[in-house]
Amino acid sequence: MKKVNNVYLYDGSFLNLLSLIKVLLKENIIPQNIKIQGYEENLFSSNINLEIEDDEKIIPNIIHNLGSRIFNGIYYIYLSNNDDKELLIYYFLLYSIKYKDKVFVLRKIEEVNKGLKVIKYVGNENHKMKGFLRFKELKNNVLYAEFAPTNNVLPLLVNHFKKRLKNERWLIYDQKRNIWAYYDLKEVYFWDGLDINIKIDNISDDEEKMVHLWQTFYDTIGIKERKNDRCRQNFMPKKYWKYITEVENI
Amino acid sequence: MTLEEKLQILADSAKYDASCSSSGSKRTGQMGCAAVSGICHSFASDGRCISLLKILLTNICIFDCKYCLNRKSNNIKRAIFTPEEICEITLNFYRRNYIEGLFLSSGIVKSADYTMNLLIETIYSLRNKYHFSGYIHAKAIPGASPYLVKKLGSLVDRMSANVELATENGLKLLAPNKNSQSVQKIMAYVKENKTKNFVPAGQSTQMIIGASKESDLDILTKSSYLYDNYQLKRVFYSAYIAVNQDKLLPNLKIPPLVRENRLYQADWLLRFYNFKVADILSWQKPNFNLLLDPKCEYALNHLELFPKEINTCSYNDLLKIPGIGVTSAKRIYASRKMFALSFKDLPKMGVVLKRAQYFITCQGKYFQDRSFYRRDYLEHNLVLLENAKETRKVEQLSLF
Ligand code: SF4
Repeated sequence: MKKVNNVYLYDGSFLNLLSLIKVLLKENIIPQNIKIQGYEENLFSSNINLEIEDDEKIIPNIIHNLGSRIFNGIYYIYLSNNDDKELLIYYFLLYSIKYKDKVFVLRKIEEVNKGLKVIKYVGNENHKMKGFLRFKELKNNVLYAEFAPTNNVLPLLVNHFKKRLKNERWLIYDQKRNIWAYYDLKEVYFWDGLDINIKIDNISDDEEKMVHLWQTFYDTIGIKERKNDRCRQNFMPKKYWKYITEVENI
Repeated sequence: MTLEEKLQILADSAKYDASCSSSGSKRTGQMGCAAVSGICHSFASDGRCISLLKILLTNICIFDCKYCLNRKSNNIKRAIFTPEEICEITLNFYRRNYIEGLFLSSGIVKSADYTMNLLIETIYSLRNKYHFSGYIHAKAIPGASPYLVKKLGSLVDRMSANVELATENGLKLLAPNKNSQSVQKIMAYVKENKTKNFVPAGQSTQMIIGASKESDLDILTKSSYLYDNYQLKRVFYSAYIAVNQDKLLPNLKIPPLVRENRLYQADWLLRFYNFKVADILSWQKPNFNLLLDPKCEYALNHLELFPKEINTCSYNDLLKIPGIGVTSAKRIYASRKMFALSFKDLPKMGVVLKRAQYFITCQGKYFQDRSFYRRDYLEHNLVLLENAKETRKVEQLSLF
């Protein structure tokens, strides 16, 4: 393997990233970094746009050769907000080829350890959002939720709500990335950049009553002799409160 | 009385029950599903997880347990939900993703069987009229007929009956209408009949800490007995909160939260770390040290068994080291087959090195001069460490 001072560019998509990494691994290149096209060149490296033929078979191949656990792992890293996520995926794949599933205990290797931490972080946030997401009922019975997760967990999260609310139509909006997911009782559809305006008067008549009941329950259930703000904030970080009905006004 | 007032009263009376877990069930159906790992939907002002809509069906009660807000002799506002009201709130909260399901308990109105029937009617309606397949935890009423226990168990994910006090004497004194047999009868029934259609998430129970004279040894011995004999999933410990004035009750200004925490830590040691009660408590020392967690205390009392060599000691030995949890023990066990581990690798495995370092060697090396491996020195450092991290605990400790 040879380390080069090049930053390799890809188009931002998962498939394109994997194709690029496949080429790099085949040519024994350890890149300085991998970035999305448009990344500004710096003094210490040069940007390279490799010719890659998009290989539609790349995902089935990785799953076949390395297993779904590793594939899921790198997909989680891809969804993270980590600045060097592409490089982390590169190293994760590099070591996966040699160590297969044992890569998950390879914490001694710093690059792998970082990747494992990111996988855990994304998994944790996805799990938290299964609980913290709040739906409002619209007049047409669609359930609507907004959130702004640190990592791009919406593609993972929809799988949970497909099971949980399988007989309801719902719409989830990631405000930070401007992505929508809509479930129509059969499939989930994604859009980005779309301008949908949920107006206040689209909210169902029941909504206010339910929010009120929930607030009453929330305010009652805490034991005042045990009050512990720090503990609450550890479990439910402030950055999410804006979207959590019962604490948004605290 | 409005629905909101009812909810306020009946959530307020239910809040002292510590159990809120929603794990262990895989139920699926038309309306909702139960996630095996459990999901916390919110955290209350006291930092406890809110996973379930935790309410009483009613706070009317014919019993007079001294420690309980709902006891017959208290002059408080009483309310009772109709089954329809509970269904409406549960379903609407569930759809909006406020909750994972319902935790339904109750005071005893008229008789145990009468109350059980009300609980069954409500939950039957949720399951069969509204096809709700979210998580349901119901309290079984001690003394109820077995056929009702069976019926309730076939509708819920978890069923539990609270032990409340660890000894018969404690019960006689503070809960004269109760006895441990009726609770254990329910536990035995659940254990014998548990299937994927009957209480699939298993049973749990709760003990109140600090309302009576029981020692930590009494309490933990009871827990251990219950785990061994009834396959309980969890025992919850609930620091007593002085809701009533009574000459039989201690006049606690602040609930014994540190003690509660020690019991949880010890309970963890019993369930996941292969400890026995006798390893951590004895007749001579029946209560936990409030300044140190039970695992550190154990290690200090058994310095002859330490330090352990990280690269060669057994998995069971790894579990006994303070600062190493189940996850980090597993990681160490898997990694050391590939590489010899040194001190700097351990934080990557999730080890709390500040605590573990006193009790381990890595490739034969101790982290400082061996002459420091003395009880007084280690204890001093560990106490400082433990109490620097939680100022809240220190505040409470200064009261003792
Ligand atoms: S039976 Fe239950 S609700 Fe009634 S007084 Fe005793 S603890 Fe309270």
